[in-house]
Amino acid sequence: MIASQLRSMWLVFKHLFRRNVTVQYPDQKPYLAPRYRGRIILTRDPNGDERCVACNLCAVACPPDCISLQKTEDPDGRWRPEYFRINFSRCIMCGLCEDACPTYAIQLTPDFEMCEYDRQNMVYEKEDLLINGPGKYHDYSFYQVAGKAITGKDKGEAENEAAPINIKSLNL
Amino acid sequence: MPTITIDGEKYQVDGEQNLLSTCLTLGLNVPYFCWHPEMGSVGACRQCAMMEYKDSEDQHGRLIMSCMTPIRDGGIYSVKDEVAEEFRGSIIEDLMTNHPHDCPVCEEGGECHLQDMTEMSGHTMRRYRGTKRTHRNQYLGPFINHEMNRCITCYRCVRFYNDYAGGEDLQALGRNHQVYFGRQEEGRLENGFSGNLVEVCPTGVFTDKTFSSHFVRKWDLQTAPSVCEHCAVGCNTAPGARESGNSNEPILRRITNLYHHDINGYFLCDRGRFGYEYINSATRIQNVLSVRQEDVISSTAEKGDRMHREINPQEAVLHLAEQIAMANQGKRNLIGIGSPRTSLENNYALRKLVGSGNFYSGLSQKDQELLHLVSTIQQDDRIQSPSTPEIENADAILILGEDIYNTAPRISLAVRQAARNRQKQQAKSLKIPLWQDSSVRQLEGDYSPIIFAGTELSNLEKITSNTLFESPEKVASFACNLALAISDPTSLSPDLEPSLLELITHTAGILRGSSKPLIISGTSSKHADTLKSVAQVATVLSDYKKQPTMLYLACDEVNSLGLIQFFNDGKGNLDELLERLKKNTDNQIPTSLMILENDLYRRLDKKSLEQLLSQADEIILLDTLLNPTSKRADWIFPASVTAESQGTFINNNGLAQRFYAVYEGKGFIQESWRWLMDAVNFCTEKPANLSAIAEWQHSTDLSDAIAREFPVLKALDSLGPDEDFRIDGLKVARQSARYSGRTAIHAEKQVSENPPLQDPDAPMSFSMEGIHNPNRSPLQANIWSPGWNSNQSIFKFQEEVGGERRGGPSGIRIERPQRVMPEWPAPSTPPEVAADPSHVQMLPLYRLFGSEELSNQAMGISEVIEAPFVMVNHIDAKAFDIHQRELIELETSCGTYRAEVRISPTIPSGTVGIPYGLPDFETLSPLLPGYASLRPAEAPAITED
Repeated sequence: MIASQLRSMWLVFKHLFRRNVTVQYPDQKPYLAPRYRGRIILTRDPNGDERCVACNLCAVACPPDCISLQKTEDPDGRWRPEYFRINFSRCIMCGLCEDACPTYAIQLTPDFEMCEYDRQNMVYEKEDLLINGPGKYHDYSFYQVAGKAITGKDKGEAENEAAPINIKSLNL
Repeated sequence: MPTITIDGEKYQVDGEQNLLSTCLTLGLNVPYFCWHPEMGSVGACRQCAMMEYKDSEDQHGRLIMSCMTPIRDGGIYSVKDEVAEEFRGSIIEDLMTNHPHDCPVCEEGGECHLQDMTEMSGHTMRRYRGTKRTHRNQYLGPFINHEMNRCITCYRCVRFYNDYAGGEDLQALGRNHQVYFGRQEEGRLENGFSGNLVEVCPTGVFTDKTFSSHFVRKWDLQTAPSVCEHCAVGCNTAPGARESGNSNEPILRRITNLYHHDINGYFLCDRGRFGYEYINSATRIQNVLSVRQEDVISSTAEKGDRMHREINPQEAVLHLAEQIAMANQGKRNLIGIGSPRTSLENNYALRKLVGSGNFYSGLSQKDQELLHLVSTIQQDDRIQSPSTPEIENADAILILGEDIYNTAPRISLAVRQAARNRQKQQAKSLKIPLWQDSSVRQLEGDYSPIIFAGTELSNLEKITSNTLFESPEKVASFACNLALAISDPTSLSPDLEPSLLELITHTAGILRGSSKPLIISGTSSKHADTLKSVAQVATVLSDYKKQPTMLYLACDEVNSLGLIQFFNDGKGNLDELLERLKKNTDNQIPTSLMILENDLYRRLDKKSLEQLLSQADEIILLDTLLNPTSKRADWIFPASVTAESQGTFINNNGLAQRFYAVYEGKGFIQESWRWLMDAVNFCTEKPANLSAIAEWQHSTDLSDAIAREFPVLKALDSLGPDEDFRIDGLKVARQSARYSGRTAIHAEKQVSENPPLQDPDAPMSFSMEGIHNPNRSPLQANIWSPGWNSNQSIFKFQEEVGGERRGGPSGIRIERPQRVMPEWPAPSTPPEVAADPSHVQMLPLYRLFGSEELSNQAMGISEVIEAPFVMVNHIDAKAFDIHQRELIELETSCGTYRAEVRISPTIPSGTVGIPYGLPDFETLSPLLPGYASLRPAEAPAITED
């Protein structure tokens, strides 16, 4: 029995020389990996255009249904969200929206510090979500891959596309 | 019944079907593209491959295309065989090589048959690394968007558009790998059924442009079974609505077809599919309005027009209550005017409030008589009102005085199928199964006989065997002679023109010789003698054949036949009301007119109507859209449209159908009967009729009250479940199980969620909670099954492919007492007079887009409505010295109208065709068919007064 007490004291004493695991948060910030699942952002493609095409896949993947948006179409043919809203007071930071996103528009960031006194302030609109860069994926531009023509990228000009067919030719 | 074995399981099946549709009927998942339940098989896509084994010894089997394989008794087949699965996987991989990376920006995504089939065939990774072929798109009008890159060349679009619907301006162009489905040049798809391409195309080549402008995915639409309100055929629809995230107010987003075996089947017309936009239009009444008393500095309003301001609904309801109280004390006349374009429930509520003696139909005498005639004719047991499949099976069709493509469009599509019955007979005699679509269509031979007599025939010209373009009087006399010829061919007067005589004997011969003859007519020619003569033909034919004759009578509006059931004595039209009000002038009691969802300027000629309105001291209007009548109203209450309310319509067949609210109308909008009920609740004294109104809580309370009061409408009490009906303790969910954004959509204004709205009328929830499976309840209009996200999944909810929906048909025929119709005297033959420009008969011409009041306000449809015109016979035009596209003035008893001339070889001489209900010509509609004089326009345009 005494042996057990001595052993415990030894173990406690040994910890005096261990490295401290407590971090002095918030003065000292821990390292979070770039792929940490924190606050959600909307990114832009390399040309600076909004990446989100309002396909609604993030909204349908979202388990607490906290994403809502409405599609609209720009004169240049791009689909774009008229509004894009995330209710962070409901968000569980699961990252399924990022998984579902076919254009890398919606991304999770290592920022988790989102405290508010008023819950209403946890509702983020598109202006609050949209950043001025491509986030984690630097090169991807959806419309360069998609077949839909937009101003500046005609039919046949996307990656792996043949020139449009002239149906009035013989097409041999 | 043959027995077959599929993957080791034995099934008893219907031997008439091919293997694919048999498998689908059995609930097996077999992927397919080119096959369509209504259009049969062509074996083009090779996607539905299965294995067939010679006998139980056969280990290898052979690949077959299940859509092209007839059922063999004792046959052994396999869907799951590895070879077949691999084959189907390779087919889909090939089809997908050129498919663009478009799904996120494609309106079809989420309800795409191609997506479903790709998943089902197990093609998950793209191996093809070559270039994709691309195509340029075409502008196809305001309804349909074109994105040719997505095409998998299944040929369904041209098979529907050309073969099934008779369109001519969509073709398969180009060749081999580069086939292009489009028009010769850009422009609107002219066929009135083009909207079905959206559902027929298995992918996103043709998508709904009107939907795209307020697009959401299928899983985000809340829906309920509804009935199309744009004509009297009564097609079932599944409108989809969703709140908007900016204003929290729901908007109707689109209309899709809701399968009904006996009415619309798989297809809708474009007016029904795209007409919904009127609900979101700028002319929608959204607030309670009352007339402004104060003077304004200047205004563009005409004399007699009121100017309105928004007021608090309570103020208006209190005012209404005051009027009702005064009427009860005998200090005020309260007169109600009903409407054929709103539900039986709304009409009944108004009738109950004002009393049957003060309730008027809102129809002119002429229109009401016509509807009364229709109802009388249908009551005769020698007449049978056919369903759409019965029309499709008719072997001879006589159309009299009705341009069905424009007045009952879905019926004209059925007639088009009937035209092929001779071909189908031939196929049967050659033992070709009918689902072998292209083989059957290749058979040569004439169309089944379709004979038309009337003013104008649209869309069906090429399949009619004989046509007679004449004025309604002559059509009536043609029908009369035809009746004589059927009963006794020798009794015809020898004075008839030889060509006419020949047509009459020919038609009589065809009708006598056919086994399932069908006669189609209706009220659109506004000519009672035509209807009477048509009825005579039908009865004579029935006497000759000793079986009821199929007679389809088309009415003008969605609930025409329902409204008329309240007026069985033939009284209660607007002309009578005018007489009554004129007599009342010296009476000291003031009069209030309550108008229910009706634009009276389309009913009564302008002069009489002005008289009628000026006799009223106050006009109260309950309506959905601002219209000329609303300009004269002192109080306007916003009423809900079909998609926002529950009620009952009665269609051309006498089928009572209930429609359900898809979403709650925004703001103060509510059902007309609820406005009346609110006002009654504010009355302090309630005599018997008012206390009954005050007790109403659910729409079904009204339906039951109607069923009790009118034996004819007894069907209404068994028509659908009451609002307290539950399945396993649950309501039916209007939203899909994967409805998104619930906790965010309203969060802009308020982050905490409100409970969902409660529906007081139907056992359905405005949320995702409840029953989702359409097999559990016909109230579920979201046609979806796991793995089948597109509308193609409907086969999972049918008793067999193309059969009745499980749970039986919705809608019950009203039981009118069987009564032999009276003998009407033969119509007098009009004397022949030389065409005279100062006295021409105006005949109504109908247009798919433009003749119907509500759909005219839809944004897409308003783009394609023609400018008003006057159609003149080519010989008359020469005689009157007028030319194509010249401006002409039409002087009528109610003012002068100005329009372009169109010259036509078919419009009868001595008459001019006037488009019915077209914008600017609405006030001309009540005058049709009347007389006017024509003169070239010289003075500056004065349209009215």
